[in-house]
Amino acid sequence: MTHHTDSVGQRPLDGGMPARRAVTRWAWRLLRREWRQQSLVLALITLAVAVTTVGVGVSTNTPLSPYVGFGNAQDMATFSNSSASTMATIASWHKRYGAVDVIDNETVTVPGSVDTFSLRAQNPYGPYGQPLLALVSGHLPTKTGEVAMTSGVASDFNLRVGSDWTVKGVTRKVVGIVENPKNLLDQFALVLPGQVTTPTSVTVLFDAPVGTPSKSLGPNVITPMSVAQGNLLNPETISIALVTMAMLLIALVAIAGFTVLAQRRLRSIGMLGALGATDEHIKLVVRANGVFVGLVGAVVGFVVGFAAWLAYRPHLEVSAHHVIGVFQLPWIVIVVAVALAVAAAYFAATRPARAMIRISTVSALAGHPAPPKKLHRSAVPGVVLVVVAFVLVGVAGARGGNGGGMAALVIGFVTLTVAVVLLSPFLLTVLDRFSRRAPLAIRMAMRDLARYRARSGAALGAISVGVLIAVVVIIATAARFGNALDYAGPNLSSTQLIIYTPNGPYGPGGPGNSSKGGGVPTTSLAPMAQSARAIAAALGSHVVIKLETTSATLQHAASGRSFSGPLYVATPQLLRAFGIGKSAVGPTTEILSMRPGFAGLSKMQIVYGNYYSGQGSGPGRSESWPCPTSDCLANPSMQEISSLPAGTSAPNTVITEYAVKRLGLTPITSGWLVKTSKPLSAGQLTGARSTAAAAGLSIESKSSIPTSATIIDWATFVGILLALGVLAMTIGLIRSETADDLRILVASGASSGTRRSLTAATAGALAFVGAVVGTAAAYVAMIGFSRTNALDGISSLASVPVANLLLILVVMPLVAAMVGWLAAWREPKGLSGRLIQ
Amino acid sequence: MSMLELRNVSKVYGEGATEVDALRNIDLEVDRGSLVAIMGPSGSGKSTLLTIAGSLELPTTGDVMIDGSNVVGMSRNDKARLRRRTIGYVFQDFNLLAGLTAVENVSLPLELDGVPMKKARAQGMSALDELGLSHRAERFPDELSGGERQRVAIARAVVGERSLLLADEPSGALDSVNGEAVMRMILSACHRGVAALVVTHDAKLASWADRVVFLRDGKAVDETLSPPGPEELLDHDATNPPAS
Repeated sequence: MTHHTDSVGQRPLDGGMPARRAVTRWAWRLLRREWRQQSLVLALITLAVAVTTVGVGVSTNTPLSPYVGFGNAQDMATFSNSSASTMATIASWHKRYGAVDVIDNETVTVPGSVDTFSLRAQNPYGPYGQPLLALVSGHLPTKTGEVAMTSGVASDFNLRVGSDWTVKGVTRKVVGIVENPKNLLDQFALVLPGQVTTPTSVTVLFDAPVGTPSKSLGPNVITPMSVAQGNLLNPETISIALVTMAMLLIALVAIAGFTVLAQRRLRSIGMLGALGATDEHIKLVVRANGVFVGLVGAVVGFVVGFAAWLAYRPHLEVSAHHVIGVFQLPWIVIVVAVALAVAAAYFAATRPARAMIRISTVSALAGHPAPPKKLHRSAVPGVVLVVVAFVLVGVAGARGGNGGGMAALVIGFVTLTVAVVLLSPFLLTVLDRFSRRAPLAIRMAMRDLARYRARSGAALGAISVGVLIAVVVIIATAARFGNALDYAGPNLSSTQLIIYTPNGPYGPGGPGNSSKGGGVPTTSLAPMAQSARAIAAALGSHVVIKLETTSATLQHAASGRSFSGPLYVATPQLLRAFGIGKSAVGPTTEILSMRPGFAGLSKMQIVYGNYYSGQGSGPGRSESWPCPTSDCLANPSMQEISSLPAGTSAPNTVITEYAVKRLGLTPITSGWLVKTSKPLSAGQLTGARSTAAAAGLSIESKSSIPTSATIIDWATFVGILLALGVLAMTIGLIRSETADDLRILVASGASSGTRRSLTAATAGALAFVGAVVGTAAAYVAMIGFSRTNALDGISSLASVPVANLLLILVVMPLVAAMVGWLAAWREPKGLSGRLIQ
Repeated sequence: MSMLELRNVSKVYGEGATEVDALRNIDLEVDRGSLVAIMGPSGSGKSTLLTIAGSLELPTTGDVMIDGSNVVGMSRNDKARLRRRTIGYVFQDFNLLAGLTAVENVSLPLELDGVPMKKARAQGMSALDELGLSHRAERFPDELSGGERQRVAIARAVVGERSLLLADEPSGALDSVNGEAVMRMILSACHRGVAALVVTHDAKLASWADRVVFLRDGKAVDETLSPPGPEELLDHDATNPPAS
């Protein structure tokens, strides 16, 4: 037999690096061999990182980056003119900091259009401004009398390279077509420095020494850091918050997965202990497995995400109107996502790693897991955190979610999430107590859930957090969209189109504008009406409803939100168009609205005429109650009529002709509402828009704002899907721990119905408790926020989306139980063999 | 000095009404180079004796001396180190680590003890070679036959400087030919100075041992010197060839 010749005493007592390398290698090999058993966690991490990579790429590149104007510079100053003081400041920076890039812009209107472009004087080879300039064709201007321009400007003036172009009285030769790759919507004509004599803005790019506070340079100077500080809620920070939340959920699921996996490897781990592995080595095996799962998932996720990004990037460039580099991704966010994925998997593996070393080597070798420890986990920490979260969201509510309120909101929400995770295992014990008189299968299922809380508690926490998020969205949407004053939702339906006169939806006599009448002269209205009818005819519609406004609007004098939306006149034609007969409107009714709860609002008043000019307007203006009777009518008679259209731009709230007469108001034509039988196509809308523009009109069609029902339904769907997904991933793992009990049960003569009932009861109970905990936590958050919120008080929670909550609280547990019943039809593999043993 | 010495060892599981005496006042010595077999019916305490002898469990009372050191009172890490350096286990169901090749399984105890991978691997290969398994060194356990797996387990148990081999029914999952081959390898290790303690039900295999200890209800009820086994008979045949 060979004996190694090392001096044993020289070796590290714990085996040192060779030992750690050996157990890590084993963990890696096991992952390669048994990756299918961990495919759920791997898939979740892969998906999360892939979605983050693409999502963060799209979300940060879609809007123009706030840093694009900097070019290569660290500091940017903007002045409104090139006065002597401006020039002196620029000269002083030049002297102190060296190179300075000055870009003069003069806004010029395209003749016969409201469109403008910039006449830009910029050194094409300047030290900092070069990234803002790219040559498309021709060459850049090299001398006075030469100009290069964007293709948009060339098109507006029907120019091409070689043409002569006169602007601001100066004729120049077009020598090239250029673009701003950072902003393809930037339309400009480029001339050499000094060619713009009356700039409307002067941008100065320079590099102050690192660490120089931008404020010390002057009020006009900003740095990328100051921009970032002023914009904390940017796509990057939102993405990091979302990915953190996702990884928390994944970690909860992974705890269950890793625990079962460690149990399956119990005999091997026992053998490792028998061979002389220390506790640290055994923990390392389980933890290393977690890290490898996190790493593999993160790397695969990044590769998939990056491939999707490469495929989508060209489309994004078109929609975002600026050139986007292949590697123009927020790498910090992606690195954070990858690190979070690894950290989540590592921490998820830590708990089973600790559990493994509590099992004696002899038990492990025999494949006997440690009997479940009797936990006396108190609900107190969870309850304390719920209270803390309640206070924090209350602080956020008082501050309206702005400034420090946003930080309080985020911390409060995270605290609530932790509280839910802590309370979940405790609630399983409560569930067990309640089920003591239930039939055998249910009783056993509840008892097992309570006994094996390492797994079931984590799964329940994940379900509860998923439901919490979904229900918060549901309640918040119901509250916000259900607000009768500041009505929210889609503007119009897909079969509606409004053609506005230059008066617009609020008319020239609207709030802030004095007067009765005014607006478009009557002589101009006739051809406009004709154009509106022509547009409607082109769309195949003959339903053209004239929309009239007055100087009147509604005012809410109590605290909370203000009235929003236009207040059209309820002309007989308008009422008829929506099937409202004369008899349906009260003879003294002054306001009609389809907004639910509108008629019950208190401290409402119609203000009109010179009310606002007399009261003053703008921020800080307080609504007086009751208002002066000269230009105001307090407590108007209001009636709800559900037949009026629901869109925010549609006449959902109207003033009756009775009120118009009573208050002596003068209606003016604001536009025409066109109703079509079929949804309008993009081509039809383009045609309508150009016809309207030619006649001095403008149109409004359905925007992409979803309805409250859409948001609530999607949140319900996603919440249920998430909860069922977590259940699908964990239910097998949870039941596997009690596989021996099941074998004994079957040997004792239990039928497949008992086996199915066990799984069904486990799934149903987890889904139900998760739904209850998540919903309760969501209401805690919303009550805490609304309680102190000045805009949406506690009453805003009165509109309860009952149907959606019932889907989550009742239907989801039933579906979970049903799926559990169906999925347990097959006898567990090897059951009969194990029974013989 | 004995390689393994159990002094007045008792083991009690459970308490009160569930109390079970697994071992009662056992005294046992295994010298270097000797093979001791433990026999007895199920539940007699054979496996408990083995786990206590291997420091996997502690006795309720008594002392366990391995190579002169008392295991009782040692820290978990010290016991782990003792197992890495001194004790080798062979189990009925092989207990090779899936995911590691045969040679990696054999060299694992050395690596756990801090021997660099290359060196450990060389020693592992050498151990496999001595058992005629070098050609299967890169195979994973599920690619080996039962006999080969147990040979790998024996190689793992004796690799390095290990001097105490504990085997629990090492031939229990093997046919008679492979079972005998395994016993022969254990005996061969003993000839090189390894002390071996083997638990077995098989009287034929126990006959290979220098001594057989019989356990019943946790007590050593008998101890016999083994009659000449097949190995000795073969040796005898070789030294005294039959007259032709």
